Amino acid sequence: MTPVLSIQNYTLDYISSAGPVRVLHDISLEIGPGEVLGLVGESGSGKSSLAWALMRHLPENAREVAGSLRLGDIDLQRLSPGELTRIRGRRLGMVFQDPSTSLNPTLTIGRQITEALIQHRGLKQRDASSLAVNLLGHVDLNNPAAIMRRYPHEISGGEKQRVIIATAFGCRPDVILFDEPTTALDVITGARILALFARLRRETGVAALYISHDLALVTRVADRVAVLERGRLVEQAPAADIFRAPRHANTRALVDAVPRPERRLVHDKPGDQVVLAASDIEVRYGSGRLFRDAPPPATKKIGLEVRGGEILGLVGESGSGKSSMARALTGLARFSGKITFDAHEIHRMRDMNAAYRRDVQIIFQHPDASLNPRHRIDEILSRPLKLYGGHLANIPRLLEQVRLPASYANRWPHQLSGGEKQRIAIARAFAARPKLVICDEITAPLDVSVQAQIIELLLALREETGTAFLFITHDLNLIRQIAHRIAVMRRGEMVDLLPVEDFDADHVHPYTRELMAASPVPVG
Amino acid sequence: MSLAWFARRLMLMVYTVIVVSMLVFAITQILPADAAQSLLGENATPEVLAALRTRLGLGDPAWLQYGRWARHVFTGDFGISMRTSLPVGPEMLAALSRSLLLAVSAILVTLAIAVPLGVVAALRQGRLTDTGVSLIAYLGVSLPEFVTATLLALLLADTWHWLPATGYVSPLEDFGDGIRHLALPVLTVSLILVAHVMRMMRSETLDVLKSDYIRAARLKGLPERTVVFRHALRNALLPVVTIIALDVGYLLGGIIVIEEIFAIPGIGRALMVAITTRDLPSIQAGALIMAATYAVTNTLADMAYAFLDPRIRYD
Repeated sequence: MTPVLSIQNYTLDYISSAGPVRVLHDISLEIGPGEVLGLVGESGSGKSSLAWALMRHLPENAREVAGSLRLGDIDLQRLSPGELTRIRGRRLGMVFQDPSTSLNPTLTIGRQITEALIQHRGLKQRDASSLAVNLLGHVDLNNPAAIMRRYPHEISGGEKQRVIIATAFGCRPDVILFDEPTTALDVITGARILALFARLRRETGVAALYISHDLALVTRVADRVAVLERGRLVEQAPAADIFRAPRHANTRALVDAVPRPERRLVHDKPGDQVVLAASDIEVRYGSGRLFRDAPPPATKKIGLEVRGGEILGLVGESGSGKSSMARALTGLARFSGKITFDAHEIHRMRDMNAAYRRDVQIIFQHPDASLNPRHRIDEILSRPLKLYGGHLANIPRLLEQVRLPASYANRWPHQLSGGEKQRIAIARAFAARPKLVICDEITAPLDVSVQAQIIELLLALREETGTAFLFITHDLNLIRQIAHRIAVMRRGEMVDLLPVEDFDADHVHPYTRELMAASPVPVG
Repeated sequence: MSLAWFARRLMLMVYTVIVVSMLVFAITQILPADAAQSLLGENATPEVLAALRTRLGLGDPAWLQYGRWARHVFTGDFGISMRTSLPVGPEMLAALSRSLLLAVSAILVTLAIAVPLGVVAALRQGRLTDTGVSLIAYLGVSLPEFVTATLLALLLADTWHWLPATGYVSPLEDFGDGIRHLALPVLTVSLILVAHVMRMMRSETLDVLKSDYIRAARLKGLPERTVVFRHALRNALLPVVTIIALDVGYLLGGIIVIEEIFAIPGIGRALMVAITTRDLPSIQAGALIMAATYAVTNTLADMAYAFLDPRIRYD
């Protein structure tokens, strides 16, 4: 059978001030009719560059060194701008990573879907509109006629992604490129988008290239999986075989880094004494005004306890209030309720004394935003040491504790990789020798393999210091590997607070069950 | 546009005007001018002065005087000019109408030139067209308006005799002559505004063209023309609307130089004369009218913004 999409010996460079940098080495891939090829790799592996090359949307400093890109009998590299307009969308569609930025905020949904149909299927405005309503209904959007009149900010992220998928499928392309289409969505919404993709694919028989960093997820949607590492194709295998029998060392490392709930990383039991007890914590942002109602509270009078050395997981979708809880506990958000810490009662931010602020530390999701770009690493680490009576001579030891060389003290944050920056943020939190560390989605922006290293580091630090953790995440598989107890939040309420062993039990909240069902577990 | 949003916006405008009226009144109270003394002249006897003060209510507490003034202003009565003994209101409004005509024409001309130039410069970023347009823009920004005005007047009026150098003719009386008289000042003001509106338009267009939704529009297979006009232009215009509203403030306040050079009896000149002759009612009326105009234009700009950007309406 002739492939619909064929990449032969493709090699790509980016020209930098230091000379050409090779991003793709001699890549050869083929996608047959109706086939879904999964392309997996970490950030920087070149998987997005390959997508941009196929869409002919490379940055100006890109140089195609060798190889060919063919769509059926069309040579993509030789298309004129005019011909390209007739191929994009019509023959080669694309679904993007972040639906919230991929739709124009000032045009209605209807406009943005019909313009593609008018362009590629030669329809009149009126026919395009009725087809668009059909398409939107077909991707399970309620009341598609009303959606047509809405603007992107008036629908949810999952609905936006459905609109983009409807547009891509509506032009009936030969191949659709999916560039991490669920990464920007929460777990349950992402799972529903995947189910939609599986159904549409069955119905239309379209071929697809599915790009993702998430190996577990790709094995569920793809027929074949190709693994890309630093611009080289290291393995190609049927999806079912990749997990069972990874051949290449890199694939094996990727497989090992995927969190699996059955592989517990923590085996001890936490202590009995309660380190921090919070009850009736309510956080509200903003208040009502003339013509305007007060927004609903971000957390609705919830409570939790953390014991000595315990890892308490806090799970929920974006907007569930889990970060607001962290902000209340660290005095970053105004709250009502009671926090008891070391026999000290706290009712508002003002009650948090220096001892509390030293003992309860927080690590944020984005180290880029939480490390001052104009401070060197030693200055960043010296702040908590000075504030809480540590010694500046401890900086090398702190760096060693997070497995970084002492020479990093003189570096700037931008000279470090994402994982290294997060290690600095961890070192800063531990500089105060805290009793409780709150981790707010600290591995979310990292690759799976880096995430595994950070988790390993946190567990080692816990061994050394006996610190308790409140670990906030949306990744249920990850938290089930490390937590002693897990709290599940939805819309400001705590729906479950269970020991990790009870998570498979029947009496869990329906929402928790839905969350578990939506967390991709590797196939094979 | 939701009704509550609209109501909130209008209330904010009314509130602004009330606060400004208090400030204007307070400032004229502090000024070292005595209304009775100004009215009667240097040679008035103390008895006559005292009698007039009582009649004018100048001895009353400030809030009472403000209340009385505000009530009159509300009915359109700004008082009698101390200089000309004519009602202040009509005179100031006539002056405002001349200034507004100049300002609105200048803004329309500016938009017609600056928006296309900015978009073209952005699309040809780094090429000769872009460099040329940017260079002219820098020149426009850096030259003070009296230099631009003098240069233009020298060329268009003195050397080539295309346009009258100074004066004002109402377009209602003689449309052709009115426009000819308006051309030079409008051109001068536009040259300055074009420069910075164009630069704004260029940088906004560049930003928008880099956004994900423009990439998505291109990769959907839309022609470049549709991408630029339908997807980019509207989003790039948004910040420009705000800039234009701020420019109206500059035009009403700072246009006095232009009005002086081209001898246009506008609101800037009227206010200047009122201040130098300590004509209190005229100062109050002029300041309040300018503030109110500014509040109205900003409200209009907000509404234009809400019309262009659907996200604003429900905030």
